[in-house]
Amino acid sequence: MNRPSTNDVGLIDDLQARYIHALDSKNFRAWADTFSSAPDAAYFCISAENVERDLPIALMYDDCRDRIEDRIVFIEKIWVDTFQDYRTRHFIQRTHCDALASGIYVVETNFSILYTPETGRSDVQVVGVYKDEVVIEADGARFKSRRAIYDTVVLPRYIVYPF
Amino acid sequence: MSEINVPQMLWPRNMNELPKEMFVREDIFNLERERIFRGAEWHAVAHASEVPAAGDFKTFDVGGVPLLIVHSVDGVIRVFYNSCAHRGNQIETETFGNRKTFQCPYHRWTFGSDGKLIGCPNSDQYSPGFSRDNYPLNSPRTARFCDLIFITMSQDTPPLEDWLGPVKDTIREALGDSPLRLLGYQKVSFKANWKALSDNDGYHAPLLHKAFAMLKWQGGKGRQFMDMNRGHIGYEGEIKPVGQTSLVKDASIISFRESDPFKGASRIVNLFPVTGIVKHLDIINIRFTIAVNVEDTECHFVYFAKADDDESMVRQRIRQSSNLLGPCGMVSMEDASIFHRIHIGSHTPGNAIFQKGVRSVDRLESEVGQNDESGNLARWEYYRKLMGFARSAV
Repeated sequence: MNRPSTNDVGLIDDLQARYIHALDSKNFRAWADTFSSAPDAAYFCISAENVERDLPIALMYDDCRDRIEDRIVFIEKIWVDTFQDYRTRHFIQRTHCDALASGIYVVETNFSILYTPETGRSDVQVVGVYKDEVVIEADGARFKSRRAIYDTVVLPRYIVYPF
Repeated sequence: MSEINVPQMLWPRNMNELPKEMFVREDIFNLERERIFRGAEWHAVAHASEVPAAGDFKTFDVGGVPLLIVHSVDGVIRVFYNSCAHRGNQIETETFGNRKTFQCPYHRWTFGSDGKLIGCPNSDQYSPGFSRDNYPLNSPRTARFCDLIFITMSQDTPPLEDWLGPVKDTIREALGDSPLRLLGYQKVSFKANWKALSDNDGYHAPLLHKAFAMLKWQGGKGRQFMDMNRGHIGYEGEIKPVGQTSLVKDASIISFRESDPFKGASRIVNLFPVTGIVKHLDIINIRFTIAVNVEDTECHFVYFAKADDDESMVRQRIRQSSNLLGPCGMVSMEDASIFHRIHIGSHTPGNAIFQKGVRSVDRLESEVGQNDESGNLARWEYYRKLMGFARSAV
């Protein structure tokens, strides 16, 4: 077990805060910027049921930087004005952080997302765990890959925004 | 339900109008469970590739009745009521798994994967003449077509292939002749009545889903055809690839790679009441739907590859299936929000009106254009008759 340096843990926690702030304030450019600029940067949102069964289908399958960029187009250009909007609040707890190599960490973080439609009644949208590979870059930490693995077997209503 | 309690609803005279209240009335939903979900219709509950190995099982629900679908050790896929033959306790709680035997924990009655009772403690003290042979797990009627497993809880349902009628060939073309391999699930719940899902039409597609216009992506020739006897709807169309686009950086999710006997073909079948079968671009998708209650509908989007696909084809199918036509798909996410709003709006008085493609308000058509909404009207007429709702004379 390679314990991460306190400084790197601080950078990783800062990354998580930037990720949450970006999504909860619907700043999707800032969301994309929490991922590495490498062409193989990846974001997956996949059910724990599929993961357990070793089935590859995901709810969001952004296996390259271009796909992450395209998700912003889906949300801001294609789907805009077709759905009743909702606010999200992410709550997280880091449970695991292990150095894979110098400046590269595998991180696990529990998440729950509460959502509030325009009509105001808040509810749980989804619960799960992030399994990430994080790289420490010159100006901070970024996700090389983030897998949001959700426990919620049947998701409620409709999902517009990444977990 | 005795006849005196059967809910009534006056249906409008015109063939292109529907009473909105049927989407929101709980008494209507209860009658639908009896007449449709537990009535003389077949319901798809699984594709064989979801339970490929001996002992594989899946649980599902039709009309509030819990079902256990098992690939038995003898190779047969059987469907059981998910309920112990003893006191009715739910046998299996998992959504999927693999077991060679199923044991009810309550009194430890144990069943083989073929449903036979193989163990029951203290049976020397049971009622006179007790025999294990008389207590297998119970089954609804089961039939199979193109590796799709169907059940019906009625003895009056015609044989499956008769019931499928004219959409049989379309299903065969959608699912192909070679065996399929399961790629995975997207499971979501819509805050809407089940009928709103199956009422999705051809008119809305280029209007609601803006990606089509933004990509200048126009469908090739296509047609919708109706089974006038059973309410099924079939769709056949050409696939025209998208030209150059700057809308997305990764255009591979809207590309088309497959070369099969039906190259260039899109096939969609909406079986009455709720099962959807979709073959579009490189996506092979079955939508199993559960009408949970009058305002909650669960949809399991299940995706497949062909068993003989090479690695790059499988990858193409995974990427496209995940991102294009499902609950978070580029050209489909908007549907879920519309279902939700139809449900809210249907709590108002009056009728829902169909216009696009309606050439006469007095008769139904068995074939319409691909972007008409009138394709759903024959299904609604079948529903009306099944439910016993009278049509207004004026």
